[in-house]
Amino acid sequence: MNRQAHTFSEFHPVVSLLYFVAILGFSMFIMHPIALVISFSCAGIYAIYLNGKAAITSLKYMIPLLLLTAILNPLFNHRGVTILAYLPNGNPLTLESITYGIAAAIMLITVITWFTCLNKIITGEKLVYLFGRVSPALALILAMSLRFVPRFIAQMRVISHAQKCIGQKRGIKTISILLTWALENAIETADSMKARGYGLPNRTAFSVFRFRKRDGYAIAYISTCIICITWSAVTGALYFRYFPTIGGNESSTPLAFIAYLALGILPIAVNFKT
Amino acid sequence: MKKPAILWTTIAIAVVIIVAFFFARSGTQETYELRESFTVTLSVNANTIPHHELVPEDGVIFHATEVTAYEGESVFDVLNREMRNAGIHLVVRRTPIFDSVYIEAINNIFEFDEGPLSGWKYRVNGEFISIGASLYLVQPDDVIEWLYTLDLGRDIGLYE
Repeated sequence: MNRQAHTFSEFHPVVSLLYFVAILGFSMFIMHPIALVISFSCAGIYAIYLNGKAAITSLKYMIPLLLLTAILNPLFNHRGVTILAYLPNGNPLTLESITYGIAAAIMLITVITWFTCLNKIITGEKLVYLFGRVSPALALILAMSLRFVPRFIAQMRVISHAQKCIGQKRGIKTISILLTWALENAIETADSMKARGYGLPNRTAFSVFRFRKRDGYAIAYISTCIICITWSAVTGALYFRYFPTIGGNESSTPLAFIAYLALGILPIAVNFKT
Repeated sequence: MKKPAILWTTIAIAVVIIVAFFFARSGTQETYELRESFTVTLSVNANTIPHHELVPEDGVIFHATEVTAYEGESVFDVLNREMRNAGIHLVVRRTPIFDSVYIEAINNIFEFDEGPLSGWKYRVNGEFISIGASLYLVQPDDVIEWLYTLDLGRDIGLYE
């Protein structure tokens, strides 16, 4: 499922970074139900667009997680004025705590989904480009840890195939070989990086990223959305209260939600335009 | 690799937790009908909070009422029954090993809601009791008052 035609990934890495920092931050901290629904839908659509079937398969993990969070919250949180029933330990089961449990679960799933999109867009190459000059060590660690798990799995498959060929199939031995390989590989990588002068001052890294006009437009667009949403959040337009009664700010304007939708829909809109 | 395994594990954990909750009964649900009954006066008051949407203007959540209590009941048992009958929200934290019950909230006003020194205290016949509400047994004609303090009891006269 590696479609090369998503235009959003062809933007300058700074644009992608700004976008994901903004959308992840807002998704984590804005608990207004309309904002949750907007962010959740945008993340879902974009994940399906990027990952196709894998995004739908991941619902297998997401739905139990959602149910677990929604069930566990009212067992431990007894705030709220609408008493539905009493738990066996004597404390009330409230409508507000169930609602908050569902909202928190949706928030959690939304953030996870945005992270799967981030993994697809901000590749290791872009990470090194973004953080390479600020902190070469950080960029190296990020890039290496991101490719660590897939690489380990691939090598494990190679080893177990080799073991099968010589007529052996022992799990512990495979892991032992894998660990030896990993240690040796780490030293080789480190030596190789050192030989090539990674992290030395005045050393440039080749990259194909050019800051074009459309990157400037994208940054302006994202910044406008960020300013609108932040201003709405500061003035209380995105305020929503779950305890002790459920209610929002009556004077809230739709501006915040329009800006939020505009921010969330950006990658999909860019891809559909081209 | 084993995708359904994760799903089933999650469901199993959820079921275990819920079942554990339903068995986590404390031994306060005995029948008291056979015991001798008498009346006590119970009231719940949060007039220390100046303006709060859940507190009426006079600050009284439960007006002083003569209620039935049974011999051997604790202050907590009386409060729990009357709050349940009146439909008033009550949250407690139990520590079964000490047979102790701590009142976290009455009528959705939680401890620490109105500052770091706030919470519920009770007094019987005008005297603050320094042991847990589940350990203090009621006597006939006791006057039980539950008061919300903002300042560790100083504002409701604990140290006078």
